[in-house]
Amino acid sequence: MLLYHLRIAFKSLRRSLGFSAVVVGGIALGIGVASLFATIRHALAKDPIPQKSGVLYNVRLDNWDPAKPHPNKAGIPPQVTFRDMTEIMKSDIPVHQAGMFKANLYVFPEPGSGRPTRTLIRMCFADFFPMFDAPFQYGSGWDRQADQGPEPVIVLGEEMNDKLFGGQNSVGKTVRIEDREFRVVGVLKPWRPSIKFYDITQQQLQAPEQVFMPLGWLRPMQIRTSGNSDGWKSPPQPGFEGVLVSETTWLQMWVELPDEAARQRYVDFLGAYVAEQKKQGRFPRPLRVEVTRLMTLMDEQGVTPPELTAMVVVSLLFLAVCALNLTGLLLAKFLARAPEIGVRRALGASRKHVFLQHVVECELVGVLGGALGILLSLAAVGFANGWVKALFNRSDLIQFDATMAGYALGLSLLAGLVAGVYPAWRVCRIPPAVHLKLQ
Amino acid sequence: MLTMRDVRKVYRTELIETHALSDFSLHVRPGEFVAVMGPSGSGKTTFLNVAGLLDTFEGGTYLLDGQDVSRLNDDQMSRIRNQKIGFVFQSFNLIPDLDVFDNVDVPLRYRGLPAGERKDRIERALGLIGLSSRLRHLPSQLSGGQQQRVAIARVLAGDPRLILADEPTGNLDSLMTREILDLMEEINGRGTTIVMVTHSPECAARAHRQIHLLDGKVVDFDAVPTLAREEPVAAAR
Repeated sequence: MLLYHLRIAFKSLRRSLGFSAVVVGGIALGIGVASLFATIRHALAKDPIPQKSGVLYNVRLDNWDPAKPHPNKAGIPPQVTFRDMTEIMKSDIPVHQAGMFKANLYVFPEPGSGRPTRTLIRMCFADFFPMFDAPFQYGSGWDRQADQGPEPVIVLGEEMNDKLFGGQNSVGKTVRIEDREFRVVGVLKPWRPSIKFYDITQQQLQAPEQVFMPLGWLRPMQIRTSGNSDGWKSPPQPGFEGVLVSETTWLQMWVELPDEAARQRYVDFLGAYVAEQKKQGRFPRPLRVEVTRLMTLMDEQGVTPPELTAMVVVSLLFLAVCALNLTGLLLAKFLARAPEIGVRRALGASRKHVFLQHVVECELVGVLGGALGILLSLAAVGFANGWVKALFNRSDLIQFDATMAGYALGLSLLAGLVAGVYPAWRVCRIPPAVHLKLQ
Repeated sequence: MLTMRDVRKVYRTELIETHALSDFSLHVRPGEFVAVMGPSGSGKTTFLNVAGLLDTFEGGTYLLDGQDVSRLNDDQMSRIRNQKIGFVFQSFNLIPDLDVFDNVDVPLRYRGLPAGERKDRIERALGLIGLSSRLRHLPSQLSGGQQQRVAIARVLAGDPRLILADEPTGNLDSLMTREILDLMEEINGRGTTIVMVTHSPECAARAHRQIHLLDGKVVDFDAVPTLAREEPVAAAR
């Protein structure tokens, strides 16, 4: 019976093409707008590493000013100091762990093949790659021993490998960074997590860096962060070493803990560490350590701006207005069909049949409008990605994936129902005798 | 087949009450062909609406094929309309978007018959009325007489026990009128009860019995129910 109603609905839409275009267009406009904002929000809010986010934890220690808490919403510095990172990295509780920061250094191409360029480099530890499931095209990450040296090794992103080596397997080749030569040990496959989740302190919409280097090189090369740093107290001594022993926080610290028991042990470890430091006059505030799951941290840090969520709500209201406006049009159309409905009732259609027939027609309008709306939304997503590329040098942030297609389809069906349920109910209540003119 | 006793139907507005049927009683035997006549406003329309379960009534009893239909819900009334009653309208009332085949298919769809059986019934019905070659024609591509024959095929496909016809020849010329009346006589000859509203004495003459309505009542004495005897016309003859 459903297929029969669907066939009748197609005939009905074909009968009045202009009217159908207006109704379908109305739904399409609403779906297009609602899908666009939902897609943008989805790009920011979705789990960037779903296979591992449950075991990835960000580490924060409250080393802030005793007079007042850190000014952010959480009241705790979002990063850790170099000296704390160095000490807590000695724990053997995490499966993987890595402190890290972003640097901005000159990378030199092969002589004669181009000019050196300032390049964002992720300074990190060997565990970075297995902890975050970074995918390798050639080679692999460096081992933990290379962290200790440190050894002059690097991992390249696929774009940098394209740029420096024309996309060839560059493992074993060398790249000059600043005044040192580094050996390539691995090249990543294209790696585009929805956000740069391992560093959401700044410009988290940027793609991952294209060069990864052992963090141990910061001392020999005196590499400073190019990301955010927070401090409340002057360094105890001037110069680069002063930064390393200061209370300034500028490193992101991540650990992989397999279960809640490990997390609790790690929290205890950090608590013991901070208590020990307190004896040395550090950590003047009440003891506070945070070991926070990735998705919780994203919520806490407002990775998805509340304004965007508000826009999603507004776009849904817009869709509701579109749907409700169509209610009047559909009611007029259905009532004009009253004689045909009278005939169908006389031939044995129950109210349920008539209701279902018209709801199916509304849902068909919804689905057609939804399909058109998805096309509109795809065009708008393409435009938005162009804008994102101009700002963050990546064109794949906003993706209309299967989840969003399902969302748009669900909204289409809902919009069709909202627009059509009242007209369908009204028309099925028409007394059949009135329109049959049996005399 | 159809027995009404003291049926009342009142249309009310804020200002006025109109007694469309008042203490209306009628008995139609199985297989009978009855012509219903009367001036405008006499209650013919209301009678057909009530008889076809297209409208409710307020008092009295109505037995259709032996079943009391006074307190049926919408689903039950729809099922009876679908399975026991066939309608033939003055203006044919074919659905303009549907071709001949699909128009005849409508009541069968609501009956939930399988596709094969529906196809057989449709082809047989259209064969009976001589329109097998017009299966995919739209109503607008047919003459008035052909449209009415399609409407009759729609009834035949459903194989109802009772046909309610509303001026079935009102929009046809005299040649077509005779064709349609011949067809209805043929259908009645197979045992189907027909109640036909008509203004035309020529049409009414084809019926076994004529009843006249006035002010919502039957004015013929022989239309009053005789509940003790429910014999088919063919057997009585």
